[in-house]
Amino acid sequence: MNNNGEERRLNGEEAEDDDEEDDGNGRGLEAWERAYADERSWESLQEDESGLLRPIDNKALYHAQYRRRLRTASAVRIQKGLIRYLFLVIDLSKAAAEMDFRPSRRAVVAKHVEAFIREFFDQNPLSQVGIVTIKDGVAHCLTDLGGSPESHVKALMGKLECSGESSIQNALDLVHDYLNQIPTYGHREVLILYSALSTCDPGDILETIQKCKKSKIRCSVVGLSAEIFICKHLCQETGGLYSVALDESHFKELILEHAPPPPAIAEYATANLIKMGFPQRAAESSIAICSCHKEAKAGGGYTCPRCKARVCELPTECRTCGLTLISSPHLARSYHHLFPIVPFDEVSTSLLNDPNRKLSRACFGCQQSLLGVGNKPGPSVSCPKCKQRFCLDCDIYIHESLHNCPGCESARHSKPVAMSEE
Amino acid sequence: MKFEIEDVTVYFPYDHIYPEQYAYMLELKRALDAKGHSLLEMPTGTGKTIALLSLITSYSLSKPHSPLKLIYCTRTVHEMEKTLSELKLLHDYQFKHLGPRAGLLALGLSSRKNLCINPRVVTAENRDSVDAACRKLTASWVRALAAENPDVPTCEFLETYEKAGSAAVLPPGVYTLQDLRAFGKEKGWCPYFLARHMVQFANVVVYSYQYLLDPKVAGIISKEMQKESVVVFDEAHNIDNVCIEALSVSVRRQTLEGARRNLNRMRQEIDRFKATDASRLRAEYNRLVDGLAQRGNLPVSDTWLANPALPDDILKEAVPGNIRKAEHFLHVLRRLVQYLEGRLETENVEKEGPVNFVASINTHAGIDQKTLKFCYDRLHSLMMTLEITDTDEFLHIQTICDFATLVGTYACGFSIIIEPFDERMPHIPDPVLQLSCHDASLAIRPVFERFQSVVITSGTLSPIDLYPRLLNFNPVVSRSFTMSLTRDCICPMVLTRGSDQLPVSTKFDMRSDLGVVRNYGRLLLEMVSVVPDGIVCFFVSYSYMDGIVNSWNETGILKEIMQHKLVFIETQDVVETTLALDNYRKACDCGRGAVFFSVARGKVAEGIDFDRHYGRLVIMFGVPFQYTLSKILLARLEYLRDTFQIKEGDFLTFDALRQAAQCVGRVIRSKADYGMMIFADKRYSRHDKRSKLPGWILSHLRDAHLNLSTDMALHIAREFLRKMAQPYDKAGGSGKKTLLSQEDLEKMGERIVDEVLY
Repeated sequence: MNNNGEERRLNGEEAEDDDEEDDGNGRGLEAWERAYADERSWESLQEDESGLLRPIDNKALYHAQYRRRLRTASAVRIQKGLIRYLFLVIDLSKAAAEMDFRPSRRAVVAKHVEAFIREFFDQNPLSQVGIVTIKDGVAHCLTDLGGSPESHVKALMGKLECSGESSIQNALDLVHDYLNQIPTYGHREVLILYSALSTCDPGDILETIQKCKKSKIRCSVVGLSAEIFICKHLCQETGGLYSVALDESHFKELILEHAPPPPAIAEYATANLIKMGFPQRAAESSIAICSCHKEAKAGGGYTCPRCKARVCELPTECRTCGLTLISSPHLARSYHHLFPIVPFDEVSTSLLNDPNRKLSRACFGCQQSLLGVGNKPGPSVSCPKCKQRFCLDCDIYIHESLHNCPGCESARHSKPVAMSEE
Repeated sequence: MKFEIEDVTVYFPYDHIYPEQYAYMLELKRALDAKGHSLLEMPTGTGKTIALLSLITSYSLSKPHSPLKLIYCTRTVHEMEKTLSELKLLHDYQFKHLGPRAGLLALGLSSRKNLCINPRVVTAENRDSVDAACRKLTASWVRALAAENPDVPTCEFLETYEKAGSAAVLPPGVYTLQDLRAFGKEKGWCPYFLARHMVQFANVVVYSYQYLLDPKVAGIISKEMQKESVVVFDEAHNIDNVCIEALSVSVRRQTLEGARRNLNRMRQEIDRFKATDASRLRAEYNRLVDGLAQRGNLPVSDTWLANPALPDDILKEAVPGNIRKAEHFLHVLRRLVQYLEGRLETENVEKEGPVNFVASINTHAGIDQKTLKFCYDRLHSLMMTLEITDTDEFLHIQTICDFATLVGTYACGFSIIIEPFDERMPHIPDPVLQLSCHDASLAIRPVFERFQSVVITSGTLSPIDLYPRLLNFNPVVSRSFTMSLTRDCICPMVLTRGSDQLPVSTKFDMRSDLGVVRNYGRLLLEMVSVVPDGIVCFFVSYSYMDGIVNSWNETGILKEIMQHKLVFIETQDVVETTLALDNYRKACDCGRGAVFFSVARGKVAEGIDFDRHYGRLVIMFGVPFQYTLSKILLARLEYLRDTFQIKEGDFLTFDALRQAAQCVGRVIRSKADYGMMIFADKRYSRHDKRSKLPGWILSHLRDAHLNLSTDMALHIAREFLRKMAQPYDKAGGSGKKTLLSQEDLEKMGERIVDEVLY
């Protein structure tokens, strides 16, 4: 029995080693199986060494979680750029009409951009996003920098025709012009979702890359087909991430990696005071001319504390006096990026089998039993501070959503309880 | 890192070593122990060069009583520089660990063109004119003249070098050509003559194949190398062709016309000398009567070419009487040229053995075999006597004498073929008389005999048992290594059918079939739309490439290809090709993407790397068989069959496949790199062809990839490129280590070697 547990454990570790090389799971499947892996997951069962069936997804989840954990672990105590100005560049050239992603690359891109924008604002309430599309070799600014997810999504959904060539240089030039105007405390970023395999540029793209580097614009690229040298070069030069999607779920994963704030660029990492306004919500019955829509609106809305103009949504910049307007919950939500929860340690099996140490058999978070199939100890983690054990699901939940460790929190509030548990 | 291989402590300048490098060193070490020759195949990108260098230098360090000299032969100057820079790294490392005990003198040697620092000389456009310009300043009589008359220009670098006398030595270290020039400039010494002199004392000499294989050059440069040397031929998959070329001569009409001009000029010179300084001619005559070797006591700057025949075959006797007098010799040459002109007039292709040919010369021109044999030496002596310095003008007559000497020396292994026109363009008369050598073992035999160990190594030496037969030697070690990879970074495919499921091939009866042309076009078109950056295409010949590109142009396929990527073409013009390559690289760098059309056996296929994004895919259109109707090839095949029992078909397939492997091997130059290879011909799926590919390609050629059509290949390409774009762990998982540190080596010892080899 124990042996078996250890084997599984080993499997897990081995899989982790392979993680970078062979992302996610199920890549070893044949091509026709892979296409259905998402929809018919109940069919993808695999047999382990002991003849037990287990779903492949389980392992994939484990991978994804581990991967993210590594990322946060490496970034502990690094100054982060919380106020981000991100331009999403979407390639709508001919190549985006290809059907190797179902139903087509552009549809998949649009779908996940929507999810990304929502996730992005959830994680970075102080930041702004703009969308640029490339079509026929020309870059168009679809939406200006703004803080409202709805308006971006709406603007994008209407404009999804693809045609012509793609040009990274044009897009970078356009974005560079926009981003150069924003205040210095903001982090300038570009995320390019690139379908094409080449770029048709009017001039020397290498110069443009240097220009972006000089303006401290961090450029990242998510490719949909294959690794392209110039994209890799762009990302290396500007400190961004370059990744290529294997399939739709991988693409989703890759694009969501860009949602948490990146580490701040060293030269920019000086502490700065930023002037901000915390507007009050206007009374429900009041009628005022809204400064963003230029029309009279009743109820809701916020009033700028400096010039008393009315705005509809937060966060935003006041149209009249240019003050950054946010609400305090937004600030609070950004806070956890600066002080992330330390990654939990894995509990080794030898420790579990040690009869001298009595460890609780249930997850501290959800109180579910930690025993796996056949009463073997299942995989679990423990918080290095409060030493409580958690199941893998809770691990992800705590790190991804909760941003608080229940163990540490309860110990802080009720010392005696923690003592007795020890 | 530092580790032990049996009783040798190996100094290796990197922190990690690939397992195959370790195995390679082990085999090499055993070959050195046995003092025998070896044949080692290891894929490119696995660090052959550094493994070789570090083992051989460490070997001679660990045996200080019998130091080995390393003679490292490369094909190009570029490779020479690369080797020397690796050696520099190694030397620095050894120096750090051993201090001055590691004292090593290593230098590269090249022609004057690459080494000269005299601004008046080095500006000349080609190698021969640089040589001649140098001679104009440095020949012994010029210098003697200058001693009396200060107005005569000489080379100040040689003068200071000569003045320094025995003090002019290179301090220990590693010198690339660049370093040699810099050193020469600093001291004011001529780097060329300095290098020529230091070659005898150096521990490591890096130079070109010709310096050992071409008897004309080898006689001068490599004469004094000690027997305790290790000779390494790197990238030696074409070594048999180099050997053959070293002993082959072709004579065209222009050559003969030029030779006539040369003869007239010499005639005038002789007359002039007769009038002014008859004693010189008489002195030469006397010297020839005495049978003195003409070269033995000449100053170093006067020797430029030795006899084209191999040292053992040169008779050590006096020049025959009928050519001792300068005028008589000129008459003989004139008759010879006339005779050759007569032979070139022919309407039909003629093929003869040397014996018949010599007999025919004897009857028609009255020149016997012995006289022919001495032509070259006699010419050399005469030019010396006449104080001719512009040797580049006299290349034609040198070619003729070269020819005469070879024909007079060798009775078998050669044939003389006269073709009135090129087979491919029968209406343009272009007569050519070729003396072609069929036996590659002739030129390399003295090397095997003279030196203790000869190492022949390359990325493609398959099938490895054929080389010993072609070169006629017995290797003590012959082994092929595979590559240990962290991921499957090469993806060879055999494409047998087009998108319409009809077979594709460049077989003679199929190649002009429109369906095949279209299928090849569709293949490329589909591939340019899924492969990023650079694609390289190899065709079987220039004429085939011209034809197929033409018809792609007519059918509009080319235009469609150009929408995805720019198209560049290799031509027979070197300058044009270099320009095309430059622009190709630029297009790959800036993300536009490009396709390069090239020809197997061309310059690009041999020497240019398409690593990283410069070549993500290489397509080999067809099997690059040699032009099988060529008379020379037929004669060589016949000879191989009769002498070495190598079947014609076997040799042709071997030759075609090694070219194909060489072409596709261009894309992968390191383990971090990745690339796809498509063999687009149905004949590749046959076992007899496929099995001749090198092991490192075969081991990645999965059964499922053996019989693909365009659409399947396209799908595989997409998958492969996505997979390769993912980040990966360079050191390899715990299961299969592909990078070994010092501790790993100590821990594993012998075991890993077995893993790699078996």
